[in-house]
Amino acid sequence: MDAVFPFGLSGPTIGYLVLYLFTLVIHVVFMNYVLAGSAYLAVSSIRKEIAGVGKGDESQTSRALCDWMPFALSAAITAGVAPLLFVQILYKRPFYTANLLLFHRWMSILPVLIIGFFLLYLLKARNLSMWPRGIRVLVGVGPFLCIAYTGYAWTENHVLSLREAEWPAFYAAGNMWFQAMELLPRFLLWAFGAIPTMCLLVVWQLRFLERRGQAVSVGDYARLARIALASLVCAAVCAVWYFAARTEGTSQSATASVYRPYAVLFGFGLILETWGWITIAGRGDTRPLSRWVITVGLMASIVGATVLRESIRIAAVDISAMRQLHEKAASVGGLPVFLGFFVINAVLIAWCFRIVRRGVKAPV
Amino acid sequence: MSVPYYPVNDFGPLMHGMIIGGLGILHVFVAQFAIGGGMLLCYFQWLAQTGRLPVARHFLDSYFKALILIGFVIGAVTGVAMWFTTIQISPRTIGMMVDEFHWVWATEWTFFCLEVVAGYAFYRCGSRLSDAARMTLLVLYTFAAWMSLFWINGILSWQLTPGGWTQSQGVWSGFFNPSFFPSLLFRTVVSITIAGLAACVVINTMTPLERAARAALIHHAARPLQFMAAMPILGVWFLWVIPPDSRSWVLGGSAVMTIFMGLAVGASLMIGLYATVGLLRQKLYINGATATLLTALALGATAGGEFVREGVRKPFTIRHELFSNSIRAEEVAALRFAGSVTADPYPLRDAAEYANDQVRLGAKVFRFQCAVCHTLDGMNGLLHLSGSWTTQQKRLNIAKLQYTKACMPPFSGNAVELEALVQLLEWTSADRPASWTLSSDPKTLKEIDAWLDEAGPHPRVRARANEAPVRGN
Repeated sequence: MDAVFPFGLSGPTIGYLVLYLFTLVIHVVFMNYVLAGSAYLAVSSIRKEIAGVGKGDESQTSRALCDWMPFALSAAITAGVAPLLFVQILYKRPFYTANLLLFHRWMSILPVLIIGFFLLYLLKARNLSMWPRGIRVLVGVGPFLCIAYTGYAWTENHVLSLREAEWPAFYAAGNMWFQAMELLPRFLLWAFGAIPTMCLLVVWQLRFLERRGQAVSVGDYARLARIALASLVCAAVCAVWYFAARTEGTSQSATASVYRPYAVLFGFGLILETWGWITIAGRGDTRPLSRWVITVGLMASIVGATVLRESIRIAAVDISAMRQLHEKAASVGGLPVFLGFFVINAVLIAWCFRIVRRGVKAPV
Repeated sequence: MSVPYYPVNDFGPLMHGMIIGGLGILHVFVAQFAIGGGMLLCYFQWLAQTGRLPVARHFLDSYFKALILIGFVIGAVTGVAMWFTTIQISPRTIGMMVDEFHWVWATEWTFFCLEVVAGYAFYRCGSRLSDAARMTLLVLYTFAAWMSLFWINGILSWQLTPGGWTQSQGVWSGFFNPSFFPSLLFRTVVSITIAGLAACVVINTMTPLERAARAALIHHAARPLQFMAAMPILGVWFLWVIPPDSRSWVLGGSAVMTIFMGLAVGASLMIGLYATVGLLRQKLYINGATATLLTALALGATAGGEFVREGVRKPFTIRHELFSNSIRAEEVAALRFAGSVTADPYPLRDAAEYANDQVRLGAKVFRFQCAVCHTLDGMNGLLHLSGSWTTQQKRLNIAKLQYTKACMPPFSGNAVELEALVQLLEWTSADRPASWTLSSDPKTLKEIDAWLDEAGPHPRVRARANEAPVRGN
């Protein structure tokens, strides 16, 4: 396989991989917002408790996050359904096996997510500041703990799915936790990498609020930019840690020539993002150019990172060996119906936004 | 022919099926509430905007909040959980369903997205929108929610009645299978019923609201319950189109199935009678406690119905394609030749606790072929089911398993494995002594081989005229 990814693979495999990666990128955007946003709210609630500041003093960033977090989690879960579907076609056996091996822990993410979901709604309660301190802290920090736990479980599941040789021994031992050197740095790399996405989306939210006549402090933008820059540095450190802890195949696959364009795309995206954030952090306001440069840079880095992440899995599971399964799956009907409804429902979704934009009489 | 082996988890005294059953019932109930809730909201929006029931506007916001908090949160998470749980129970079944219907599932996903966007748009901005805009969002939400039922119903009903798919392997001949429409319409009526009952609960929690206003809302919320009159017809239609063997279990052939079916029908009948006589004819007021009780009864009916729907598929999870124990019909003969667990890479977790290698082999055979529906000595335990059988009877009944009970798949291993399984049962019923004599009499193995040959590798379920001929029948 010398052609640039994904062209060296069979047609059906390319089709499913492209769909998987496309839908995964959508999921990642929402997931980043939820993971990083809940972390921001957790830190914010602890700081408020320490400083003894009332709810009314919180920043616009906290308010925007708090307001949209339940929808974002719902969107993240809904967006996650499609990649979850395609991953089952692409990597059926490793994915199912890791699910089964981690049974107790894996299934525990479901009640944990439900708890996290309801806590996010509680976080919006108007009389939260009147509740006992312990409850306030729990409501503030709980969603992040629940979502981070879910993220860690996914990382664990993913890494275990790549290590077929370890499955029988892991099963025989009946372990509930899978332990590997690369787990923590990999999870932290994702977690820190999620923060710039949240910062950018909040910047867009705040700009939207400003355009609708709400006052947004310059400090909010500058703070978001500083947080994004700091998280990029932390993510870089975790990336070094991850590659130091990885298995040999991991680095070989990620640096292979077939993935080089994506590595370049990733690097290019990071440069754009960094430049944009520095501009905002320095000036404290957001000009359209900075916002759009960061947006383009972020999308480039997310797409690049998602493909590089996949390259590690492709090397570990030998996707060429699954060619027959993918060809068989591709032979079933229904693709035109999916594409047709994809377009129709995308139009209907756009119509929903139009209805709301045109119909709302007061600021959202 | 290579059979994929997956690690099998042990749930102690609980059956695997109970895990998916419990979650499935909750998910189905919540999802149907979300679908029917959308329909009810459209009706109440119409009542409000046409001035027929001004207080309906107040109800809309309260009810939608409940719909969001329950439907979107628990519904969404348990929906994903259904996939995870099905993987835990039978990875091959869900794998095959995904392979055959992934574009249908992907299509359903586009409707999920529309449902979430329309729902949240109404939730966040509904109070500030015009009536026409509110109605549009509600109709889009309801349409998307019902379409998700439409798509998933085709996949689930295909498992029991694959219809023309068995011959053509075409996705649409499998999707629009014989039980598709009765099942879809029945579930639609159930959705409306659940939504109506849940509305009565919500109305009782609304403040401030006078009793007269509550009563007016309740009587309007109860109106859609009239659709329950269609349930008996749809139920009979469903029973008519399902395979004869499945129907016979519901209609007395299996006591458990019949009881659960009776509970579902009885609970639905009680709700229907209360709705017709009490709410619609006598215009009785229903308080929160009674409304909650009726909703709980509807949950019970859903539980009974789902249990029956899952149960009547036996001995298959996908009729004529995959047995309950995730072995394909055409793999049985090969596994009888090579041994069903010869290539199983997963060791026993408690291997040292078994008396000898034969019992260990029996434990692996049990894990691979039986553990999905049975425990050893817990729920649906083999020791209870075969407790009164002699050793020889065990050999015969397991070798001719599909004859012993038509809802059982054929035994898929060789004579050595079957004898190992019998020895596991004997050893376990003898309180698992530290030493156990090996049973290796060639005459016994020859006898088992003969029984396995007599039984053949095919199931004993009767086929309908429009089904694929059941091999060996």
